[in-house]
Amino acid sequence: MEPNGVSQRQSTPSHFRATGPEVGRKMVNLRPRRRRCALSSGTVLGRGDEEEDSEEDVSEEEEPDLEFPDGGPAADGEGMDEDEEEDEEEEEDDEAPEEVTFASAQAEAKEDERRLRDALRRDKELLKEKRKRREELFTEQKKRKLLPASLLEELTSATQTKINESLPRLETGNMESEKKGKKEAKTFPIRIKKRYVACRLKDQDLIDLRQQAAKGFIQKYLYGRGSNRTTVNKFLSLDNKRLPVKKPAVQFVNSNWGTERKQGAKKFKKQWMHKKKLASRRPNIT
Amino acid sequence: MAAAERGASRPTGDNRTSRRHRPPPLTLSAHFRLRGANDCFRGQSARTWCEVEAGWGGERESPEQPDRRPEAGGRRPAGGMGEFKVHRVRFFNYVPVGIRCVAYNHQSNRLAVSRVDSSIEIYNLAANSFQEKFFPGYESRSTEALCWAKGQRLFSAGLSGDVIEYDLEQLSVKYSVDGFGGPIWSMAADPSGSYLAIGCEDGSVKLFQVTPDKIQLERTLERQKGRVLSLSWHPSGTHIAAGSIDYVAVLDVQSGSTAQKMLMDKRHPGSQRRRCVVWGVAFLSDGTVVSTDSAGMVQFWDSETGTLVQTHPLASSDVLSIAVAEKEDSMVVGTAEGTIFHFQLIHSRSDGKQSQWVRTKPFQHHTHDVRSVAHSPTALISGGVDTHLVIRPLMEKVEVKSYDAALRKVTFPHRRLISCAKKMQLLLFQFPQRLELWRLGATDAAGKNEDILPLSRNAEHLLQLKKKGPENICCSCISPCGSWIAYSTASRFYLYRMNYENNSVSIKRVSKVPKFLNSALQILFSADSTKLFVASNQGSLHVVQLSEGTLKHLHTFHPQSGTLEAMPLLAVSPDGNWLAAAGMSNGVSIYDLKHLKPHGTVPAYNFPVTALAIAPDTNNLVIAHADQQIFEFSIPQKQYTDWSRKVQKHGLHYLWLERDTPITHITFHPKRPTHILLHDTYMFCIIDKSMPLPDDKTPLFNQLSLREASENVRRRHAHAFKISKKFQPLLFMDLLDEGTLVAVERPLEDIIAQLPPPIKRKKFGT
Repeated sequence: MEPNGVSQRQSTPSHFRATGPEVGRKMVNLRPRRRRCALSSGTVLGRGDEEEDSEEDVSEEEEPDLEFPDGGPAADGEGMDEDEEEDEEEEEDDEAPEEVTFASAQAEAKEDERRLRDALRRDKELLKEKRKRREELFTEQKKRKLLPASLLEELTSATQTKINESLPRLETGNMESEKKGKKEAKTFPIRIKKRYVACRLKDQDLIDLRQQAAKGFIQKYLYGRGSNRTTVNKFLSLDNKRLPVKKPAVQFVNSNWGTERKQGAKKFKKQWMHKKKLASRRPNIT
Repeated sequence: MAAAERGASRPTGDNRTSRRHRPPPLTLSAHFRLRGANDCFRGQSARTWCEVEAGWGGERESPEQPDRRPEAGGRRPAGGMGEFKVHRVRFFNYVPVGIRCVAYNHQSNRLAVSRVDSSIEIYNLAANSFQEKFFPGYESRSTEALCWAKGQRLFSAGLSGDVIEYDLEQLSVKYSVDGFGGPIWSMAADPSGSYLAIGCEDGSVKLFQVTPDKIQLERTLERQKGRVLSLSWHPSGTHIAAGSIDYVAVLDVQSGSTAQKMLMDKRHPGSQRRRCVVWGVAFLSDGTVVSTDSAGMVQFWDSETGTLVQTHPLASSDVLSIAVAEKEDSMVVGTAEGTIFHFQLIHSRSDGKQSQWVRTKPFQHHTHDVRSVAHSPTALISGGVDTHLVIRPLMEKVEVKSYDAALRKVTFPHRRLISCAKKMQLLLFQFPQRLELWRLGATDAAGKNEDILPLSRNAEHLLQLKKKGPENICCSCISPCGSWIAYSTASRFYLYRMNYENNSVSIKRVSKVPKFLNSALQILFSADSTKLFVASNQGSLHVVQLSEGTLKHLHTFHPQSGTLEAMPLLAVSPDGNWLAAAGMSNGVSIYDLKHLKPHGTVPAYNFPVTALAIAPDTNNLVIAHADQQIFEFSIPQKQYTDWSRKVQKHGLHYLWLERDTPITHITFHPKRPTHILLHDTYMFCIIDKSMPLPDDKTPLFNQLSLREASENVRRRHAHAFKISKKFQPLLFMDLLDEGTLVAVERPLEDIIAQLPPPIKRKKFGT
């Protein structure tokens, strides 16, 4: 019983803690079932009441899991359960193994088996439900996409025809390009009057990319490596050193300094507060 | 020349030096203590700093005045009549945008300046470098090149790949044409101004023909390997020099082929494997090509043979820009260290034919990179990342020691960025991307002159309003009651209704704005906040009635003479009967709001108007011009007032005329009709019309010395101009109520602290 208890204890926390594999589980259907089997072998031999708790927990966790695939808020709640569980087990460890009659053990085993079957069924149902929901989501997404797609198609077809029109002109030579310029002149005032400009997103992306690249170039050459830049603070202090009247520094603290450490401190504070909260809650429960 | 050089530090220097080293005010110690203390617990608190100051040392009333106007005596504040409580505001966190391009137009003597956010300003160098036109920026459009063509047409090109022409009359973008070559790095107009060459990211140089109403692509010259970063036409218009990475190519315009290619030396010192970027080229008429590059060299090449003639290693950092005088006897280059160098063509003495380019003078007026330079016939003009536009006159070119011979440094816009709701004590700050609404702090304490009073309530940031879309904000206004806020971008007008309940502010956009209100150059609310005046860029003025839910269009004043010139300055009389509007060249028009008809115009004057205001009760229109002249025009009588004639006859003090920033705001004291309050960036002045005018022999800035003087001396030396230079640089000053002033300052140090990093330089002794 003792080793089983241990394995049980290990298995539950690992399930609770790692939200990563859980997300994965949604994709691979086989995994939960296998894990559930391992659980059952532990429970058949003893310690039913605890198993029930954890089982309940699992089923409860399943639900929010659907809502929060990233496991943000769910993960916090799980931590608490784990702690409580540990406490209970510690109490039980102190007691001697109690005697169990064969009949009662059999009944218990049967009961467990029944519960297991129930759990499996519930699991299946849940999975079905999940698939169903996902299916719905997909269809909905498709629907949502459908409208802009059609619009886009219209637009692209329109521009295609325009390009097709203008292409032969371009090929014929320079004389034609002047005509094109005239055409632009005609279209521009209309565009300016309206409050929108119609453009192909593909072209715009390309323009943006090139603009970004161009900006990157200038940034690299003027402020990049080897450009021998100093900081504003140093520059101002240089002036200050030469002034007859010394002044306080303009920037005492740069808010950019030590961002990592600041974040670490923030995290630590959060954890610490969480712990405090737990500690204050624990006496109320027991 | 020595005499001319001395001209730079003539008495006006008073104005100029004070900018660099703030004059030590009497409150220096107290002021410092406060700032230091704040800094300790608030970190960068210099920006969020408001203090109320009791008394103001600039003015002290002469004792006879209360007797003259006893009706004001009963209500005057305890501190004495000339004293004000001053809200000294330093939380306007405005940082001017860095300058990217500078282009000088010889015909009109105007200077176009484009900034990094693609906004464009036009300065009139003939009118004391007044910034007379402004085009707001556009987010994705970053200007890289700016040039004048065909006389006075202005074009810009940028990394978005478009060439844009601006309408200088209506202050709007005329059209934009795609260059079809990716981001555009450079643009140059040919000497006749009928062709534009653009250098693109893909290495092509394209020629555009400038037609009367448009530009159109003519052809593409031979494609180069790298991006074309700089371009220059040969004065004959037959060849173009194109600077790229590691080489300069000379292109034949006729055939479109590359005539010569000059390779840069790749073994420049310092950083390894950095390629040599040719940031600027200039093509001289004798066939010499001058290149400036990232290795810190200025090199002279013979374009015929492609050989290097002369090398000037200038700096260890990049030399970013070059400009040549029209006569080709001097040129200016700007470096990333903030230094500009003057090169001159010096004839060797033996025979007049031999001449050589010699580096003559360095000028260090910038702290950061000089991104662009220009050369006017008499001055070197430079602008860069540190946001200053510097106009440095060449002393050898200046014959008369005049106002134009002084160094000019333009830092702050000559427009008003701040508006004030007097009753609610609210300030609306305009940034290019957003508006901020602040409530001023308050104090219960009273103090002696020059004391700093503790705040009982801190200044409060009520609201931040971000603009929508890519266009930047061009003008904004808050109504005097504080319940309306309006702003406009280049194509849209926004009006908001504010609601103040206890401590909360709610804002609601007025959605049903009349259709014609699609853009505005200037917005103004009437004194009782019931009317809205909008100057559109077609030159018309719209009058709109404001009420709780709806807007009613009352009238539109169309420009009289059929010109479409925009009217960027507005003023309304406090009784709501008169509206004055000023354009750049047409003078000031006055409209009768009661009968909704034009009333007349003020006789035209040579210099543009910088500020306008109409006095209460008398309805006198006070006009400040860019040459620092002040006129007072009586609207009901349609003529200049006696005081104005007296001023013109007597002439203004020479120090007054030599100030170098324009007056940007005029206001009046409700209880003292003889006072006119006005300010520029470096001084605040109260003009007392009842006092004698100063002549050139009396000191103009004598307020501080008069305070300590005896009664008799004071009476003898007091004159109409009471000037305080305590608040600098002053962006806005207004009278909140009879005894309270609000002054918005923007210390230069706070601006520098937010600029990109400068080049590291070793300085001896540090």
